[in-house]
Amino acid sequence: MSFVWFVRHALVAQFSRLPPAEQFLRHAVDAGVGSVALLTLLIFFAGMSLAVQGYGAFVRMGGQEFLGLFCGIGGVRELFPVMAAIVCGARIGANLAASLANMQISEQIEALSVMGIDPMRYLVAPRLWAVVFTMPLLCAYADVVGLSASYFAAVVQLGVDQGTFSAQLREIIRWQDLAVGVGKGVAFGWLVAIIACYHGYRAAKQEGAAGVGVATNRAIVHSTVVCIVLNMILSAILYA
Amino acid sequence: MPEPITAPAIELDGVSKAFGANKVLDDVSLTVRHGSIMVMLGPSGTGKSVLLRCLVGLLRPDAGRVLVYGEDVAALDESRPRDRARLFALRRRFGMLFQDGALFDDMDVGDNVAFPMRMHTDLSEAQIRAKVADKLRRVGLSGVERKAPSELSGGMRKRVAFARAIALEPDIVLCDEPSSGLDPVMSATLDELILELHRTLGMTFIVISHDTAEAKKIADTIGLLASGKLVTYGPAADVFAEGQPALRQFFERSTEGPIRVL
Ligand SMILES: Nc1ncnc2c1ncn2[C@@H]1O[C@H](COP(=O)(O)OP(=O)(O)O)[C@@H](O)[C@H]1O
Ligand SMILES: [Mg+2]
Repeated sequence: MSFVWFVRHALVAQFSRLPPAEQFLRHAVDAGVGSVALLTLLIFFAGMSLAVQGYGAFVRMGGQEFLGLFCGIGGVRELFPVMAAIVCGARIGANLAASLANMQISEQIEALSVMGIDPMRYLVAPRLWAVVFTMPLLCAYADVVGLSASYFAAVVQLGVDQGTFSAQLREIIRWQDLAVGVGKGVAFGWLVAIIACYHGYRAAKQEGAAGVGVATNRAIVHSTVVCIVLNMILSAILYA
Repeated sequence: MPEPITAPAIELDGVSKAFGANKVLDDVSLTVRHGSIMVMLGPSGTGKSVLLRCLVGLLRPDAGRVLVYGEDVAALDESRPRDRARLFALRRRFGMLFQDGALFDDMDVGDNVAFPMRMHTDLSEAQIRAKVADKLRRVGLSGVERKAPSELSGGMRKRVAFARAIALEPDIVLCDEPSSGLDPVMSATLDELILELHRTLGMTFIVISHDTAEAKKIADTIGLLASGKLVTYGPAADVFAEGQPALRQFFERSTEGPIRVL
């Protein structure tokens, strides 16, 4: 089963009919709510680090008023969404790959198809929709948490002028940037989900439990690499 | 009075299947009458499960035809959309008990048995629940609806899987080693159930087994698969009378004979 074959069938399954609401909801909650705690923690520290590092660099040349600019560009346009995609992608992708691989090695996927139910429609499509829907929300949430953390570090801890920081943020961050962030989230979400489902689906019964580990591992590595590369390409196209 | 079905339920014609250099099925041909019970015996690793997978199109043979009520499953390619629809429709004539049960572990027992009915019928929730209770009672597991599959023993899982396989009262039920992992009494109960379903609903059964007592009890037709070849196949009475050496070895649980494992 090639990746191209899988993607083609997954797309047909995804767009031929909307998934059952109950399935979709379960996976969306799993992917979204399950990621919030980890994401909040990591992005909060990342946002603070960004401000601290930026401050350290700017203060030497007396340009600490540019900190808002720096956090806006570095955080909202780049760091926060891509970090959200990688962190949540790893978590969500690992879950998806492990659950599908487990279903594959325990013959549950075959059992579905023998019942005349298309596993692509029943298993893969709701997961794809769920992650495509959740990932942009997580990216947007990461922007909010990350910026708040940067603001907190800059204004409260390092004493940067609040008015300047906010003004610069408003200056550099346009609505388009937030839209791009959400759009990236959709793309990241779909890629993470399709890669994870593919590796999970491809696990072979002969591999046994080891197959679940292999599928999970591949899902994480491949989706992380793809997200980072895609992010770089999008940045080059949109902002260069 | 429905028209009597005269076409064979299953016809295999020269079916061969290899995985790389591993020739698993070698030119297997057989016919299973509608409404009969066929028991396929054979040592493990000889392709019995592969044979069942070929019947429902989970595996495609390299050569040969697999006719299900006259339609060639082997000619259908699951990756082609039109064939896929045809294949999924054909599969609804089957219920299948997998070797390890293959219960959905994100659902409880009741939902597992109800699943095929929820997907393929318009029955009300109350009707489904009544049918689930009936099927579970038949396999000796009344009242386990709310348990998770992981809470059950291997033998119980297998019986739940059997209840799920017969949930839609399909034309053909495929059972991959229903008796392995069951104690002798439970195994006999399951045999009785197969006979009862066969008698009352006219279901066709294809049962894979290691258990010669089970074969004697339920089979109309017996086959013996060894090293991918169909060594013996025919009406149970004839096969027993014939005293085919490999079959005799199987019945006598002997290491001496044509079946070599070492
Ligand atoms: N999907 C598969 N890929 C590769 N080899 C397989 C596959 N399915 C079965 N086999 C091989 O085919 C042989 C027969 O397997 P099987 O039909 O499961 O035996 P059994 O008669 O015990 O049910 C084994 O050697 C097994 O390793
Ligand atoms: Mg087997």
